[in-house]
Amino acid sequence: MIGIGLRTLFVKEVRRFLRVPGQTLLSPLITTVLYFVVFGFSLGSRLREIEGVPYIRFIVPGLVTLGVVSNAFLNTASSLFVMKLQGTIVDLLISPLTYGEILTGFVSAAALRALAVGVLMWIVAGAFSGFQLAHPALALVLLVLVAVTFAALGLMTAIWANTFERVNFFPTFIITPLTFLGGVFYSARMLPPALLRFTQANPVFYLVDVIRWSMLGFSDGAPAIGLTILAVLCAASLAGAYAMLRSGYKLRG
Amino acid sequence: MVSIRALSKRYGDLVALEHVDLDIRPGEIFALLGPNGAGKTTLISVVAGLVRATAGTVQVLGRDVVADYRFTRSVIGLVPQEINFDPFFTVTEMLRIQAGYFGVELTDDRLEEILTALDLTAKRDTGTRALSGGMKRRLLIGKALVHAPKVLFLDEPTAGVDVELRQALWRYVRVLRDRGTTIVLTTHYLEEAEELADRVGIIDHGRMLLIEEKEQLMRSYAGKTLRATLAAPLPSLPPALTELGARLEEGGRVLALTAAPGTSLGPVLAALAAAGLAVEDVETHRMTLEDVFVNLLRSERRGPGQAAGAEGR
Repeated sequence: MIGIGLRTLFVKEVRRFLRVPGQTLLSPLITTVLYFVVFGFSLGSRLREIEGVPYIRFIVPGLVTLGVVSNAFLNTASSLFVMKLQGTIVDLLISPLTYGEILTGFVSAAALRALAVGVLMWIVAGAFSGFQLAHPALALVLLVLVAVTFAALGLMTAIWANTFERVNFFPTFIITPLTFLGGVFYSARMLPPALLRFTQANPVFYLVDVIRWSMLGFSDGAPAIGLTILAVLCAASLAGAYAMLRSGYKLRG
Repeated sequence: MVSIRALSKRYGDLVALEHVDLDIRPGEIFALLGPNGAGKTTLISVVAGLVRATAGTVQVLGRDVVADYRFTRSVIGLVPQEINFDPFFTVTEMLRIQAGYFGVELTDDRLEEILTALDLTAKRDTGTRALSGGMKRRLLIGKALVHAPKVLFLDEPTAGVDVELRQALWRYVRVLRDRGTTIVLTTHYLEEAEELADRVGIIDHGRMLLIEEKEQLMRSYAGKTLRATLAAPLPSLPPALTELGARLEEGGRVLALTAAPGTSLGPVLAALAAAGLAVEDVETHRMTLEDVFVNLLRSERRGPGQAAGAEGR
């Protein structure tokens, strides 16, 4: 049974991002449209097809993943960090909410926003490139796992960060580069061997790859590897965030 | 109600609390007094679960605040010193959210009661960002009350609050106490402790210097001073007055006397009359908690031995 406390935190977090829909829902959509215009149409006319799929459609799963990753991360990271900054974190810390409830409340609301963005992006993308979903249920499960993973990472970052600079450290220096180099815009088969090895060391590559498999029905690597890596990342990030909340690290003096 | 045993808190080399023992009794108003940085906020933060103790234990209603945090936090209300607000929400929404965190659905009646008590009814649908400083502080108090706590901690509740609001808050604190809420407030306004408290604890450098009934404290420590302005300066005092402890000040114009706690000034006035001295003006001053506090801190800083002696009185 879901208690009043957890429900309140979840609803509050959802209402927070719904109060600023321009930033939290619309802005990622505009970015998607721009990617489509820039990459889809300009590059697409040269690249034509990958694995028998038009290039403009090939990039959809990667873009949706990118949207889910960044919105999940940003939602928890900015919400918790702003609470720390404004002192409203105290309201939560003195409440009888358990660590698990705090984690669940933040992560589930962030995952909801990330999935909403992902689905909207997919719809907009489909309008450009045509709709294709090879394994719809699996695609949804995978996106939920990605959303939960990065929401938990965002929470950990916000707990750790003392400054906005630090909040932005992970998205800027780790997540964005790994995502862009993780095969969002190209197939690993197009890469020279040296770059391929580099790509194969990037966990995000496997996430994009398995999500592409769930949507378009083909992948560069084995989907099972992608699913395993994703499951491990998800469990590890949840465990890490839980441990941080439990220890009181940087939250309780 | 709250039982604190051998509580210590260190931040590296800094000792914030040193072996503090304190029992808060049900239904009392307890004032924790001390200068800035004395450890007041740290002490209540440990009880509320915001700070983890280095050593010692804290129990609320017999349950440990670490092992049984869900229970203890559900019966504690905390009004933090720092004003906080979430610009995304209105007054009513904030109160409902805070109640929800505590697992309580705020009924409309209870909401009205809190809004009315804290004079926030007109601002119920106002965004918290648009509230004045005093209103934000009242909202903080409202948030601390949504779950009807058994113990309410007020950390410097009237810092930066105007006189009128301060009076209103004091009245409300008494109302809460009369309804059975135990209240612990920290303050460095001694007037506040003197006005409200049943018992007073004085803390400095993380150590509890003294815990005493306010009345008892005032009786034990707070003497009276008398200053009589004489019509004509005197070269020296008659022996009858010197024996009572009087002295001359301001070039013989003023007769001054500090009476020990519990002594009457009657004999002094009688001796003045008997000596036939013409008095222009008489001024008496009962020492306030502030004087007591300053004297105590002064003697404590001279040497801990004296304060330990004072505690035994």
